[in-house]
Amino acid sequence: MRGAILPLALLLLSFLPNLHAQAIPYSRPVETAPQAEAIGGGYQTPAVQKPLPRDAVFQVLDVLLLAAAMGVSVWLVLKRRNRKWAVALTIGSLAYFGFYREGCVCPIGSIQNVAVALTDRTYAIPMVVTAVFFLPLVVALFFGRAFCGGVCALGAIQELVVLRPVRVPVRLDRALGLLKYVYLSLAILLAVKPALGRDFLICRFDPFVGFFRRTGAPHMLLLGGGFLLLGMFVGRPYCRYLCPYGGLLAWCTRLARRGVTITPDKELDCGLCAEACPYGAIDHMRAVRKDCLYCARCYASCPRDGDLARAKAALVTLS
Amino acid sequence: MSEPVSRRDLLHNVVRGSVLATLGGGALFLVQKAHGQVVWQVDAARCINSRLGDTGAEACKLCTTECVVALSAVRAVNEYSKCGRCNICPAYFNITSAVDEKGLPSEKLCPRDAIARKPIGKADPEDPANNFYEYIIDEEKCDGCGKCVMKCKEPLGLGSIVLRVRYDKCVNCNRCAISRSCPKDALRQIPVDQALRAPEIRTRTE
Repeated sequence: MRGAILPLALLLLSFLPNLHAQAIPYSRPVETAPQAEAIGGGYQTPAVQKPLPRDAVFQVLDVLLLAAAMGVSVWLVLKRRNRKWAVALTIGSLAYFGFYREGCVCPIGSIQNVAVALTDRTYAIPMVVTAVFFLPLVVALFFGRAFCGGVCALGAIQELVVLRPVRVPVRLDRALGLLKYVYLSLAILLAVKPALGRDFLICRFDPFVGFFRRTGAPHMLLLGGGFLLLGMFVGRPYCRYLCPYGGLLAWCTRLARRGVTITPDKELDCGLCAEACPYGAIDHMRAVRKDCLYCARCYASCPRDGDLARAKAALVTLS
Repeated sequence: MSEPVSRRDLLHNVVRGSVLATLGGGALFLVQKAHGQVVWQVDAARCINSRLGDTGAEACKLCTTECVVALSAVRAVNEYSKCGRCNICPAYFNITSAVDEKGLPSEKLCPRDAIARKPIGKADPEDPANNFYEYIIDEEKCDGCGKCVMKCKEPLGLGSIVLRVRYDKCVNCNRCAISRSCPKDALRQIPVDQALRAPEIRTRTE
């Protein structure tokens, strides 16, 4: 009985296709790589694909563009008081620094590199990163947070989703604002650890870089989406409450000579600007430089100056 | 009235000046330290897929799954001068698959079909085993899964295929996301000029 099963099974199996063909016993065909002479026939070994990193010239160009964008931001907001063009600059910066350059190098993350370079003697920081870290701070010393408005890609993506901002109670706003200093100290502490235990918190938990790269860990994309959703109702939550670089910029703005200024009219004390500001940066009819994010909404809403006034004037001439 | 204002301005100017000087000094200090760019690179002698001794194991796919770049910035590279140009390449074919009518394994190894095989010169149908074949990796298709790297190394192959970071794809993260989970700590930061020299492939671990 048992003797009959095996031939029967073999017979059955032989009907199945593919079993005739079996894997060949593999042995390495060659012991050494044949070179062009051995192959003959004018054969030439192809060159190994070795693409270069982004050229230094383009890296310098990025820094120049950053500086130029900040200059344009200052000019558009302080001189022209023009929100439309400020929004155009925001979209341009989001497209270039965000989606084209994929959010790297950014001044926010460069805090960590600077911190490491200042403490670790062996750690060399590229000059581009140094420039990217210091430029917005210097601008803030003179003009306020021009970098935040219209230049920073992380700010820009939030700026464009502001839909119906609620006014955050002043005490809560202040308390949450302290979070960014906690985050800043934490990021520096983790970055200046010895090389092996080093962690770059700001880069790891950048909520928007996943969108810029169009790929990322699901939980980080979810976090970014959450920030954008929240950002529809709370103006630029990451910038105001978490951005560690925003903390540094806020310190610098205390010394700024110029910035967005609100000059209440003698007759007209309408407060439309304070209503229009989604970031709670207008306090008692005065712009607060450390909180002002250079969006120019106040100017756009002003009946005496800016877009609204210009539209009104145009209406008067028409009628 | 103008007196206290100007004093405040003066104070502001002095403080701003000193902050500027501090920033400038810091920047100068950092610029002095700066010596070129560093880039991440896979050390072939450490990488599980290319180092000797792990042939039987499944290929490590962390370079594909952990990289923040779409498809991964790590791709397989065939160092052509070290390639055996075998008739049956263990990295191109799945050598355990059934043999087809031409006497070649019927399945390819690469899940993304990123390796092209073409005969060099005139292929002699009488003697296929002694023909040479060129294996070109399409690095745009490759996602760096390391399967071919694992099969190409000794004793099966000559170890001409290794994983390497493509500098045009890599965004040069402060801390490479792959390095954070690489079990052999194979991703290292090296100066860019060193990385651009001909890749020296060492498959034996020192």
